[in-house]
Amino acid sequence: MRDAISSALLIAGVAVELLACSGVLLMRDALDRLHYAGAGTLAALLLAAAVLVRDSFSLIGDKAILLAAFVLVSAPVLTHFTAQAIDRESRR
Amino acid sequence: MNVWLWAAAVLTVPLAVLAIVGIRRPLLEGVVALEAAGIDATLVLLLLAEGTRRQAFADLAIVLAAMSFAGSIAFVRFVERLR
Repeated sequence: MRDAISSALLIAGVAVELLACSGVLLMRDALDRLHYAGAGTLAALLLAAAVLVRDSFSLIGDKAILLAAFVLVSAPVLTHFTAQAIDRESRR
Repeated sequence: MNVWLWAAAVLTVPLAVLAIVGIRRPLLEGVVALEAAGIDATLVLLLLAEGTRRQAFADLAIVLAAMSFAGSIAFVRFVERLR
């Protein structure tokens, strides 16, 4: 049962990350691409959840939580920072 | 090869695609592709750690996440000063 849930979360995480990357590839301008770059956060959460379901709170499980927490905090900051730069660039 | 290593292999493909976006598109769009590639590479390292049962690789993923964040901020600042 744990393996099935873990595999489902893994497949969902990989699918979301592939969608995010294809969005960055296919969109037309920088702000549109930036929307999809931020979607990688959800993939990180799903993959960390997959690791956690499989290994519970082991050493690697704790590191997966730490990684997901870091991405959850840093990705919006980075997206905001980049969007500000793109906005300033477009006003020139 | 288990399912985790297959997932890591699948997520390696977008890295090449994002590198092409980074090279061919204007500077700020390239930085966006770099940010997406940073998260993608981080996830690949996490999947490798789980797939090979070597938890040391997970340390690399955490370090890469931090370095990718700092590097992207530095790139954005650099691009802004360039203009």
